[in-house]
This record gives sequence, C-alpha cells and structure tokens, in this order.
Amino acid sequence: MSKQILLSFCSFLMMITFSMAQQVQFSGNAKSTVEVGETFNLTYSVNAQATGFRGPSFTGFDILTGPYTSQSSSIRAINGRTSMSIAYTFTYILRASREGTFEIPEATVTVDNKQYKSNSLTIKVVKSSGGTQSTSSRGNTSKNNQVNGVIQAGSNDVFIKTVVDNSNPLQGEGIILTYKIYFKVPISQPSITKPSTYEGFWSHTVKDNVKLNQYNQNIDGEVYHVADLLKVVLFPLKSGKLLIDPYELECVAQYKRQTKTKTGDPFFDDFFNNSFFNESYANVEKTLKSNSLVINVRPLPIADKPVDFSGAVGNFTFTTLLDKTQTKTNDPINLKCTITGKGNIQLIDKLNTSFPPDFESYDPKITNNINSSGDGVSGSQTFEYLIIPRKAGKFTIKPIPFSYFDLSKKRYVTLTSPEYTVNVEKGSGDNNIVSYSTPGKEDIKYLGNDIRHIKDQPILLQRIGTFFFGSLLFFVMMILPVLIFFTIFLIWRRLDERRSDVVLMKNKKATKVAIKRLKKANIFLRDKKQEPFYIEISQALWGYLSDKFSIPLADLSMDSVHEALMEKNVKDEIITQFIQTLDNTEYARFAPGEKTMIMEKTYQEALEIITRIERELR
Amino acid sequence: MKKVLIVILILLPVLTFAIDPQITVAKANKAYTAGFYDNAVELYKSVIAEGYESVELYYNLGNACYKQNDFASAILFYEKAHKLDPGNEDVNFNLRIANTKITDKIEPIPELFYKRWYRTLLESYSVDKWAKIGLVFLCIGLISGLLYLISRRLLIRKAGFWLGICFISASLFTFLFAWQDYNNVVHRKEAIIFSPTVTIKSSPDEKSVDLFVLHEGAKVELIDNIGTWYEIRIANGSVGWLSASAIEKI
Repeated sequence: MSKQILLSFCSFLMMITFSMAQQVQFSGNAKSTVEVGETFNLTYSVNAQATGFRGPSFTGFDILTGPYTSQSSSIRAINGRTSMSIAYTFTYILRASREGTFEIPEATVTVDNKQYKSNSLTIKVVKSSGGTQSTSSRGNTSKNNQVNGVIQAGSNDVFIKTVVDNSNPLQGEGIILTYKIYFKVPISQPSITKPSTYEGFWSHTVKDNVKLNQYNQNIDGEVYHVADLLKVVLFPLKSGKLLIDPYELECVAQYKRQTKTKTGDPFFDDFFNNSFFNESYANVEKTLKSNSLVINVRPLPIADKPVDFSGAVGNFTFTTLLDKTQTKTNDPINLKCTITGKGNIQLIDKLNTSFPPDFESYDPKITNNINSSGDGVSGSQTFEYLIIPRKAGKFTIKPIPFSYFDLSKKRYVTLTSPEYTVNVEKGSGDNNIVSYSTPGKEDIKYLGNDIRHIKDQPILLQRIGTFFFGSLLFFVMMILPVLIFFTIFLIWRRLDERRSDVVLMKNKKATKVAIKRLKKANIFLRDKKQEPFYIEISQALWGYLSDKFSIPLADLSMDSVHEALMEKNVKDEIITQFIQTLDNTEYARFAPGEKTMIMEKTYQEALEIITRIERELR
Repeated sequence: MKKVLIVILILLPVLTFAIDPQITVAKANKAYTAGFYDNAVELYKSVIAEGYESVELYYNLGNACYKQNDFASAILFYEKAHKLDPGNEDVNFNLRIANTKITDKIEPIPELFYKRWYRTLLESYSVDKWAKIGLVFLCIGLISGLLYLISRRLLIRKAGFWLGICFISASLFTFLFAWQDYNNVVHRKEAIIFSPTVTIKSSPDEKSVDLFVLHEGAKVELIDNIGTWYEIRIANGSVGWLSASAIEKI
C-alpha cells in the first residue's frame, strides 16, 4: 500500500519533472480497494498524442464499458514560458466480480511509433458491505476526481430504456410502451429530443401522468431511481415484425463536486468544508439514446371472421338509440349508435348501416370520449346519424351489426342493434320542395346487382344434341305443304279444265241449238202456230246467249243482258241490236196487224242477229 | 275406346320415363329456392347426366353455381344455355353479371356494323325457332302461290303472286339462318377456362414461350387440337395454345 503511494508519488514527481522535457508519461490509475459488485473507473492517461492503445486483459473484473478515449489539450504560459500539453485518457468502467487480490497487467500505447508501457495495478476486492458502502465509495471516486479536477461522469449513471408490457400482441391489441429513465445522480430538465416513431402502429399517448412517476430499482446490485417519462398505448395496424426505433433524450446530470477551500482558519475550514456548504454541483449535459424494440405482432384468426369486421379489437358493448319511430316526411330522425369499451376504439370509423333507400342519410357525426390510463385505452365512440324520410310509409331500419375480436374470449363477437320500424306519415305538401329531386318522378335507384332467379315453371326437357331443325319431322313438315300445294293445284286445274270443256262444248253447240230452234220456229211459222213459234224464238235467243257467253240462264234478264254482254267485250252496236230483237220478239206476240207478216219479220231478225254475232266472234 | 287404351299402354313407359327428370328438376328448384345450392347443383347435373338438356335447365344450374361463387361453372352453363337460345334475355343478363365477377377483362375486337347486325339477327332466335318460323313462312308463301294460280280475280292474283314470292324467299332466308345457327351450335367449339390461372403458350409445348395468362371463367374459342393441346383464340383476337386439362368445353 505504502509502496503504491510511493509509486504514484514518484510518478507524480516524474510527471512534474519530465513534462517539462516532453517526456512521455503513460500510467494507469484505479482504486486500490473495491467491493464485490462495485463499479469503478480504470483510467490510463498519457501526456502525448497517442495511437494504438492496447488495453490489458482483466481477470476478476467485468468490463462494463470502455475503453473510452478522451483528449484534452492546454496551453500554459508561466512567467513568459509557454508550454503546451496534450493529455489522452483511456477509461474503462469495470466491475469487480469476485473477492481476492487481482493484478491488472500493463497496457501499451504507441507514441511517435514508439511503444510505451504503463504500470501494472493491483486491486484488492473485498466483500460487499451493503448499499451505503457503494455510495460512500462513489464519494471516494468523486473525491478522486476532484484531485484531478475532472468530473468523471460514468456512462451508466444515467440511461434510458424503452419498455413494452407485451412484445407479442395480436393485431389491434393495445400494448403499453413506457419511456424509462434510470439514474443514480440527480438529473434535471429531461426532454425528449427525438421521440420514437411507431411505424405500423396507431398510437395514443397517455396523458394522465404528467409528473414523473418515480421509484427505485436495483439493477445488478446498484440502486437506480427510475422515472416513467411517457406512456404510449400502441395498437398494431398490421401483423408481422414491427420495429420501434430508439428515442433520444437530453438531460442535465448533476455531479457533486467538493472543493476544499483553505482559508487557514480552522473554524472556517470546518464550517465550510461540511457537506452543506462545500458541495457544489457540476452540471453535465447528456444526450442519451434508448434501445430499439421489435414487436412481433400476431395476425388475427381468419376463420369465422365476420364480413363486417373492420379491425376493432378489445371488449366492447354496442347500444343504439332511435329518437322517434313516428315521424312525418322530411322530419329528420336521429339514430345514435354508441360503442363503449376498452380497445382500439378510435379506430372504429364507420358502421355498416343500411337505411331504406327512401331515407336520406348523411355521414354520421362521430364523437368520442377516450380515457387512456396506464393499462390501456377505454372510452366510447358515438355515431350520430341524421336520417330524413322523404316518402311516407312504413320503413324498417335493418339491424346494424358491429363485430370485434374479443381478447378475453379469443374469438370474434358480433353485436347487433335491434330492428327499428319507423312509421312515416305524409307531412305538409309544401315540404316536398325540400326534396332535391323534382316532385313526383324520380330515377329508379339500383341498390344491388344480382343474377335473376331461376325458372321454376315446368321445363320442356329434350335429349342432348337433338334439334328440330334437320330432324325428320322438320323435313316432313317442310315437304308436306309443298306436296299439299301441288296436289291442290293439280286437282284445281283438272276441275278447271273440265269446267272449261263444258263451256267450250256449250259454245260450240250454241249455234247448232239455236239453228235447231229456229228451224222448229220456221215450221211453226208455216203452220201459223203463233204461241209455240214465239216460245221457240225466245228460247233460241236466250239459250244462244247463255251458251255462247257461258252465262247461266238464271242470271239473264232484260236488265242484266246489257252488262253481261258488255263484260264479254261484245260490240255495243250488236248488243243494242240483240236487245232490240229480244224486245221485238216480246212485243210482236201481242202486236196488232198481220200475224204471219210479223212472225216472218221476227224470224228474220232473230236469224240475222245470231248470224251477225257468229260472224262477229269468229 | 280400345284404341285409346292401347295407345295409352304403349305411351305409358315413355311418359313415366319423361316424368322422372321433371320431378328431379322440381326438387332441384325447391333446393335452390331454399338456399341449398350445392344440393341443387347435384340434382340439375344428374338430369343432364341422364341425357337431357334445355335452356332453363342450364340457366338454373348456372344460377346455382353462381350462388356458390363458382363463377367459371356458372359461365359455362350460361354459355350452354345461350348457345341453345341466344336470344334469351334472362340468360344473357345473368351471363353478363357472372362475367363481371371473373378476373379477365377481354376487350372484344369491334365487328363491322353489318356483321354485328347479322349476328344480332341470327342470335335473336334459336335454331328451332328459326326453323319453325321458316315453316310458317313457307306455308303462307305456298297459300299465296295457290291464290295466284287458282284465283280468276286480277287483284287476288297480283297479291298472291307478290306475297308468295316474299314469303317463300323469307322462308328460305330463315332456313339459312337456322342452318347457320345450327352450325354455330354444333361445329363452333368454345370453352371456358377452369384452372385458376393458365399460361397460354406460343406452341403446343410446355417449353415454348409464355404469351399471356388467362384466369378462371375466361371464354376461349377452340381453333385446333393437337394431342392434349388446344389452339385457342380469345375475344380480342389473341391466339395461343393451352393444355386440354385447363378448359371445359361449352
């Protein structure tokens, strides 16, 4: 021990003497006695520009951090002599892991391509004597620091962490992220300079603990004060591995500094060198960075997922309230749907409402009342629908479904509102003007698109691949009318031929018959038989007419003769003569005068007209 | 009386045979209306398996497939119904709806206007309807011809002559339409893609170049056939080869 002091004194002397000559000094410095579990600093300092520091190997100690390199330079002018000094310090933070006496071998450093070795250190590790000891020992270190005039702020005096309560949540399940600060030395003005970004999450900051919630925590044998800076409730929006990156924090750590003010007065020294007056604080600004976190988000089960499920996860109740069920046209009604519960309630942004098409409905007014506490987000989300019935009648508002994933039951739950029946009476007619469409007629609104219904009447089934077209029946039905056509045609023609034969025969015979009749009449004329004579003449004339022009006898009369002959294209002159003859024949029967003469004349006339027609038709 | 009995006795087995599928169809319709679509599909298919078909049968079967979200089958059966009766409005409507549900949207090549008119005219009636219309026209034409030949009245003869010419030529046209429709139905091969995705190749070879991809429910026209490969053409005119296993013929 005394040797150590001597050595360090020697080195101190050497430092003084050799520094003037720019002698390279490389030395290790640490407490000689530490307790098990105590954290302490081991510093190597060199008074020149040093490179290639190679630390020793430690046995019995754990390296917590290090080596850190720090550099300082100073220019001094003393009595006109200016000197410049550079100091490099390599710092380890070590922790004694077990009891015993351990030697720390020398470290090496390169200055101007020359290697220098430090002294080796022997450190005695004694049994821990409790928490108070550690603070006192820290007092020692600070005292040691004071000797060198440097405040040694250990990097683990203050650190920050991000902690989640559940790193394996379901999609949509809320997790609570806490920003924690751990500190051994007093700190002030902690401010988050860069908060974490929560990509893939919907975040809600818990507002109710504005003041820091502090408590003590023992970490590896050291008591830390822990403060929860911020709590954030996070709802994962997608499944998979999601990263929460570190946040950064700036704070001021306050280190005690004890300056011994020597006044020479023992009273004053005693008075001011107590802890009350003598302690001053060095404020050290620190920038800290937390750890990053990986959250493994499990997807929600796909099986039995309701159609209207829109991502609500938690535990909810669903209530609806319709303000009236009896209204008049254009008199609005109000439907209030409230979802109350715990979970990602603010993410529920719409409900699957289906109002009758004759109702005019607007986007709902959404109000929420969200409370966030240390154990999640709860509250209510209210959807207020304003519905205006435009037509009178009885309408049904279908039940509104609301589905969510129940975390405690681990399954989907669908809640539905009751079905409401709204009776709309016709309001006063003037109100119709409010309606946007022209009164009376409006376009048909297509609400959906689906296939038409099946044909349910008896179906006429047929064998696959059979067609009427090309079938035997088809050809039969095609040929049959043609056959019928020809048969009818042929039969008709035959009949027609036969009929025309009769006409022709009559035509040919007409003259003969007439001559026969006339001959008979001539005999009667000679016999002076008046009555039969006129009958024969008359019959000869009429018969001739009938046969010659194939006019049925029954159709012939004095009136129709003219037209009948006209139709047969007989000359007008002949027709007149023929009618004259007929007239004469009728007249002559009853005419006064010489009977024989008149008979003779009638006979001649009849003969003449027949001869003339014969000639004419030839 | 005896004769009637004999006729009934002869017809009886035929009638019972004919009634059986009708009952099945009625059952299937009931199942469909009740919402048991899979049951309905089975029943309809059993009727087809017995060798019967009709526009309504295919239409109902297509509907049942549609309700089960089996759009490829729905389209197949609607197309079959459409083939039997191209002018059936319900069939065409549902076919249109079903076609909106499939992945592929194929823009057909615009046809020349007279071709389109002709096709619309052809498709306005089924083969048998055209045939029947033709027969009626033929009869009217022949009666008019008879009037022309027999009548002695000039007016009737004139009317008969022109009407006869008109109706007989009209009947010839309708027979032509029927024949063309018939050819379309019997000889023109079309198919529906049934595998979820199928890559159309440039030649009937698995290693050949991939041309394009079709999905379930797309309609293709079969042009050629080599082994298990079909050369197909889609409505936009693209041609390629695919394996027979990917399609179902209409």
